[in-house]
Amino acid sequence: MELLKKGGVFTIAGLENVQIRIGEIEEEEEEWEPLGPHPMPGIATLRDWDFKLLKRYKPFYAPFCDMCCLCTYGKCDLSGNKKGACGIRMDAQHGRIVLLACLVGCSAHCGHGRHLLHDLVRRFGRDTPIDFGPGVNVEAPLTRLICGIKPRTIGDYERVFDYIEEQIVQLADALHTGQEGSYLDFESKALHMGMLDSLSKEAADIIQIAAYGMPTSYEGGGPDVPLVEVGIGTIDTNKPVILVIGHNVPPAAEIGDYLTDNGLEDSVELAGICCTAIDTTRVYKKAKIASALGRQLRVIRAGIADVVVVDEQCIRADILEQCKRVHSPLIATNDKALHGLVDRTDDNPDEIVADLVNERVPGVVILDPERVGEVAVKTAMQIAKRRKALRLILSDEEFRHYVSECTQCGNCTLACPNGLPIGEANQSASTGRIEPLAALFDKCVGCGRCEQVCKKHIPIVDVITKAAYPQLREEKGRMRIGRGPVWDSEIREVGAPIVLGTIPGVIAPIGCGNYPDGTRDAWLIVKEFAERNYIVTLTGCMAIDAALWKDEEGKTVYEQHHGRFDAGGVLNIGSCVSNAHIHDAAIKIASIFARRTLRGNYEEIADYILSRVGACGVAWGAMSQKAASIATGFNRLGIPAVVGPHGTKYRRAFLGRPDIKEDWQIIDATDGSEIYFEPAPQHLLVACETVEEALPMIAKLCFRPSDTDRGRSIKLTHYIDLSLKYLNIYPPDWHLFVRTATDLPVAKKDELLKKLEDEHGWEIDWKMKRIKEGPIRGYDPSFNPTNLKRLIREKK
Amino acid sequence: MGMEIPFDVANIPGPEMGEVAPPEVIGNYISRAKRPLLVVGSEILRDDFFLETAIEIGKKGIPIAATGHSIRGFVEKGYTENVNYCNLHELTNCLRDPNWKGLDGKGNYDFVIFFGIVYYYASQMLSCIKNFAIDPLIRAVSIDRYYHPQARMSFTNISPKMEAEYKDMLNRLVSSIKRRGGQES
Repeated sequence: MELLKKGGVFTIAGLENVQIRIGEIEEEEEEWEPLGPHPMPGIATLRDWDFKLLKRYKPFYAPFCDMCCLCTYGKCDLSGNKKGACGIRMDAQHGRIVLLACLVGCSAHCGHGRHLLHDLVRRFGRDTPIDFGPGVNVEAPLTRLICGIKPRTIGDYERVFDYIEEQIVQLADALHTGQEGSYLDFESKALHMGMLDSLSKEAADIIQIAAYGMPTSYEGGGPDVPLVEVGIGTIDTNKPVILVIGHNVPPAAEIGDYLTDNGLEDSVELAGICCTAIDTTRVYKKAKIASALGRQLRVIRAGIADVVVVDEQCIRADILEQCKRVHSPLIATNDKALHGLVDRTDDNPDEIVADLVNERVPGVVILDPERVGEVAVKTAMQIAKRRKALRLILSDEEFRHYVSECTQCGNCTLACPNGLPIGEANQSASTGRIEPLAALFDKCVGCGRCEQVCKKHIPIVDVITKAAYPQLREEKGRMRIGRGPVWDSEIREVGAPIVLGTIPGVIAPIGCGNYPDGTRDAWLIVKEFAERNYIVTLTGCMAIDAALWKDEEGKTVYEQHHGRFDAGGVLNIGSCVSNAHIHDAAIKIASIFARRTLRGNYEEIADYILSRVGACGVAWGAMSQKAASIATGFNRLGIPAVVGPHGTKYRRAFLGRPDIKEDWQIIDATDGSEIYFEPAPQHLLVACETVEEALPMIAKLCFRPSDTDRGRSIKLTHYIDLSLKYLNIYPPDWHLFVRTATDLPVAKKDELLKKLEDEHGWEIDWKMKRIKEGPIRGYDPSFNPTNLKRLIREKK
Repeated sequence: MGMEIPFDVANIPGPEMGEVAPPEVIGNYISRAKRPLLVVGSEILRDDFFLETAIEIGKKGIPIAATGHSIRGFVEKGYTENVNYCNLHELTNCLRDPNWKGLDGKGNYDFVIFFGIVYYYASQMLSCIKNFAIDPLIRAVSIDRYYHPQARMSFTNISPKMEAEYKDMLNRLVSSIKRRGGQES
């Protein structure tokens, strides 16, 4: 075995000229659980499940572009659902585009995971154990579920990535002209890609947790993870500041190690943007989170970074130009985002530092994370003094000049994704009233398109930043660091209340910051549901943005609420890849609470989750292709998602129609009978125009057919209450979710019975306060819902 | 009439782009509809005038689908007679189905008027209607202060500083909508 560990090359006595190389020893998987029907499913393996979903939640297409421009037959005009020269219709073309988006998103997570695996195997060895402590025995639910593998070491993930990569290639093949032609099959493939995306995320996070010792169920982990400072105002700009941006933590981890090893933790600030920021706080205690993705351009323009270190994903494509503008040297650390810089990985670190400090080069590529640590710290320390002397925020005079230059031509508004009234705010500022301009800071998504179209060359981003600078310096929030997996012990406590509905739901605000109306919406969503005893699990940029706002006592939602996976909890699960643990929590409810087997058993577990686990994703600012594949992965597992209005630009939704009775048939597994049931959940993917509309919608999507009457009553209470609070009406469809009088909120029972009688023509027995006739179905406590005939226990 | 830049400047869908039209032309177009539906969004709440305009159109017998959280305004005004809350995604999904029974159970609509909806959300839904609500055809117009290329007709882009002119256009539009007996046909 020792020989094998040294590369698997050995010779046999007497045959010295013969060299035998063993690449990999495939160990037989221990029989830890019976193997289910679908280990490592291929493209078509779970197609039946997809088609069940797609029958109830039919794809809805809102084309972003009416043409196909992908081959030389084209451009083809597909408007009016016409066919292109290759024969593809508009609907199928849009299924194809959705698959393409999911391909890009899944590839980002898979590529990131594989990259991590390479780096961490080299650094820590492939035998690094996966041990998440006594509270987490089901360490990798998605890996077990999809691959049938129980990983013990990070090296075990080589097989997992082999599987994902092979599937990605096959799915990419389906995108070629002359392949798939059915929109339903494109969507089935997108759902497959979404599932692979979820697996990629889990793999990536498990590898980094295991290698870096990120929080798990050992002491100080889970609900007890520490709070970390968030916001531009938390960064001590008197110190040298290193700013990390992206998603791949090894370079940032090495910076943290270098600071620690050299006793510089209190001398140098290490702050981050986006998911690298979250993950850095999981490995380096002194790290801070500067902002989420939406503030990237403005943080850089504010000039606080003495060095900018980028790894991969969600980095501005013009990062080098922006860094040059404020004299921040740029270090690119990942071969997927090199930004035209010269690879200096093998050069003497001190020579690189000298070149950066003296601005002989605007930036460098360093592909070895350990070297990044040394170069970034030395550069920041040497350049800081000179950079601190620069004035990068506009002077009062410059500000006045620029706002008075504005002619209110409106070009900036036409270019702005949110159509912000910049010209009017400029005009107001020119008369001395800067509040409207300052108010744009939070509503701005930070893209910078406005500046390019300004005929007066006003640096609009800088002007808004200047107007908002006082509030920017006070932007100081706190959030829990990413806790990673939900513990098995927590699932044991909440499995029953979630399935029975007495914990009304698990709300998962996730994803990017392309909000329609600023970051406050992220906070409001978390606050509303946490105060109503839902479990709120956040990841990524939305986890960061929610931490920027405080209540009257000056507390953020993380300080206001506990961090347990339990009613009223507000959990930062971690970065984008960590949101696999939200899938995992749902899967573990099926596995630990309901004792369903996981191994290679995706379809059954997804069916269980769709029917029983009241979870709902919320990607209020979804922007990227990763967000598309994340949502699609949630959807295949039976978890719906609500997106903000920008989410309609993904072109596709999965919408249910309660008025079509045949779409709402479900099987009672107890006896095989087919039941017409309420639309629970009504959609798999839907957009809302405003947060006021989204709040009741999110509550609605937590209904499940398995709810007990007590659980349904609680869910109805919140659905009705949120609708009354934010829309000022009873939800027009609340009655659809009433099966029996005991489903009704106790405090409003009489009032609601009267409404059912008067407005919906239901027959009420007023003496007994019972419903005699009206509901879609009655309440049956023994109802055992499934969409899979094979799960019927006794056929009728 | 003429070519216009979409409000979200790069939002150019393809060869089929809607016309820019003055209020009277759009009003006359609406008047010819058999079963029109006014779809309003949250932006009508930014000024009482817009809510009143929607109610004026509603009083001409055109039912109102209140999307986003615009329903709040109608409830507060006490005008709810022919107003229904709808999620715009759900509504558009129904509109593309010829067999949908409509908000009143009498069948789908042949004409929708978009008003006060967040621009890009409206644009995407108008795109769905244009591309998929085609048999029978549903005609869609926008009366917002944006040029909407996905609508068959819309106003031109109107700068916020021209708010008074925009309000005047809406008044002219409402005046030009003629419905038989003020009731839905």
